[in-house]
Amino acid sequence: MAARGVLRCLSSNFLSVLPSIAPSVQHSPRLLTSISSFQRALATSSRLSAALKFTDKHEWIRVEESGVGTVGISNFAQEALGDVVYCGLPEVGAKLAQQDEFGALESVKAASELYSPLTGEVVEINTLLADKPGLVNKSCYTDGWLVKMSIDDPAELEALMDEKAYERYIRSIED
Amino acid sequence: MQSPRAAVQLVQLGRISYSQALLEQQRFVQRHRNRDPSRPAPDALLVCEHPPVYTIGIRQAPYPAEEERRLALLGAEFFRTNRGGLITFHGPGQLVCYPVLDLRGFRKSLRWYVGQLEQTVIGLCGQLGIEASTSPDTGVWVGDNKICAIGIHCGRYITSHGLALNVNTDLSWFKHIVPCGIVGKGVTSVSEELGRAVTVEELLPRLLDSFSEHFGRDVTSTRTAPLPPG
Repeated sequence: MAARGVLRCLSSNFLSVLPSIAPSVQHSPRLLTSISSFQRALATSSRLSAALKFTDKHEWIRVEESGVGTVGISNFAQEALGDVVYCGLPEVGAKLAQQDEFGALESVKAASELYSPLTGEVVEINTLLADKPGLVNKSCYTDGWLVKMSIDDPAELEALMDEKAYERYIRSIED
Repeated sequence: MQSPRAAVQLVQLGRISYSQALLEQQRFVQRHRNRDPSRPAPDALLVCEHPPVYTIGIRQAPYPAEEERRLALLGAEFFRTNRGGLITFHGPGQLVCYPVLDLRGFRKSLRWYVGQLEQTVIGLCGQLGIEASTSPDTGVWVGDNKICAIGIHCGRYITSHGLALNVNTDLSWFKHIVPCGIVGKGVTSVSEELGRAVTVEELLPRLLDSFSEHFGRDVTSTRTAPLPPG
């Protein structure tokens, strides 16, 4: 009962509540476990609520508050590639139609084409990848993002797979 | 299960320029791309030898125009390609193999595909009594010397480029570059390792057998693609 009460507080104001309950947490291992699993669920639901959509070429796009879409490759894709050593990305300003080739990732001496998930214009590229291409493997949904682009046709976005549909797709194609 | 294995079509291009081979590969890539969705196009194994040429992959920065000019002065051609891997050399006596495969018929993983190419060549070397292996650097090695280079392109699961096995290659061409960008390692060939002159023609059937074994496909011969004049 007490644990549930604490979790309700956490859901409303996560960061400010946590330090004040810390002393009591030291004496309650069960409470600690409940809080850490809730933290994990919150982190996951934040990612889900930002609505990742997926293409059948294992790219994802996440619409930011600004209306710009961040694009990357999925965990399935990064595992299939192996360690990425180079990211060939387009120039800022490049205009892409859906499915246009827009770059390539290199791993194990293999260059793998990237295809634009939507029609739009490249507004930013992830310059961190020049020195740290491995972010694509380690952090494919966050720090390993590839490009940000404008979304010219929201209907294209609607037609992409949501996370559940993509998970079903992976299961259907996996050997 | 006695159902016949799917086949890969062998296309022997003979001695062909690098640019002609690029066109031939694109022909087979397009055959996959333009296929009737209900019927896969045949996979193909293009085999050839090139006149002396240096080629680089998508990582172009280490090879500016001055580097291109330096190498051209040696009498070789120079190509910038869309494959992975850094700089390598192709020339007479080197068995070059470009599998144009639809990976959806195999495993949808480039890591797997490259690994199988490495194992194909390691298997072939083993048959000849050469102890070859992989290393953290893609390719096939005999100790610290590379005997076979690998560099691949893949788009929508269709592969192009491939492998280049030194059989009787004049290895001095490699002195002018840092092969595959790896400082401190060398190159070798089947002839070097066996201490006798081995030819590409002699090795081709064994390479095809090893490919069959590792990719689970029969390799069938069809009439060869037309060769360029001269």
